[in-house]
Amino acid sequence: MRILIVDDSAMMRKMIRRVFALVDVPIDEIHEAGNGAEAMEVLDLHDIDVLLTDINMPVMTGTELLREIARQPRWRHMRRVIISTDGSAARRDEAAGLDVRCYLEKPFSPEVIRDVLNEVA
Amino acid sequence: MYSMKWPESAPMRGGLEAVIGAVSDVAERSFFAMVESCDGDRFAELTAAHRDWLSASVSFDEPGCAGMVTCHLPMLLAERLFDAFTGRDPDEPPADVAEVHDLVGEFANMICGSWLTRAANDRTFTLGRPEVRPSAEPVAGGLSLVVDEQPCVVAVAFTRVPEAVTSR
Repeated sequence: MRILIVDDSAMMRKMIRRVFALVDVPIDEIHEAGNGAEAMEVLDLHDIDVLLTDINMPVMTGTELLREIARQPRWRHMRRVIISTDGSAARRDEAAGLDVRCYLEKPFSPEVIRDVLNEVA
Repeated sequence: MYSMKWPESAPMRGGLEAVIGAVSDVAERSFFAMVESCDGDRFAELTAAHRDWLSASVSFDEPGCAGMVTCHLPMLLAERLFDAFTGRDPDEPPADVAEVHDLVGEFANMICGSWLTRAANDRTFTLGRPEVRPSAEPVAGGLSLVVDEQPCVVAVAFTRVPEAVTSR
């Protein structure tokens, strides 16, 4: 499984990586991006199976990234997970139209990340 | 000790309790830290023990309402939160300043997002990128809390609230 973590906080990416190390799921590659635009560059170069993205990011937001992914048939297979501080009903409704598999609200415990990964794997 | 002013026209539910709930939730779930309120004397005593502080601000904005959430905390607490968040072992090298700033920015970001989810779940806010800077002391006028036995001030400032309501 190839995973892409998109978050403008390097510490959040680091924490998610640490959790992955504890998960009993085969992971082949973990890529990182600091915003949606960087994520697009990674997606052009690598075949990603699971995308975990924040929403509020500079340059290109997670919502913009997910809209772009939804437009491209070649990324139809990709399982998409939002990890955001914004858990509002309005934002969740917005995500529902973007083929998002899980909506994970920060703060979360490491066990929640593990469960989500097991679910989408 | 809660000295923060809350505009009546702010379209958020829950008042200061929603802010405290957000801080507690973030501290406990992501940083394994306990949050307590405390009286002014104890808070002054805890504050006096620290010279190096960090201040992290996150702006929130939507058409009817805008403002900023700011967290002030001593460097010592920031480093403890860093260790808890990343699971750093005592044998590993300590965090560098940029990493601690990033972590404190994320702490403020999570508090802001968690509070808005509680207080205005039907609205979609845009959060700004956290701005973190060193400071000599915490500002007055916020919620004075104790996080893992260390002082922490969380302040919410509104820069725009609905006009129709403010004119009441």
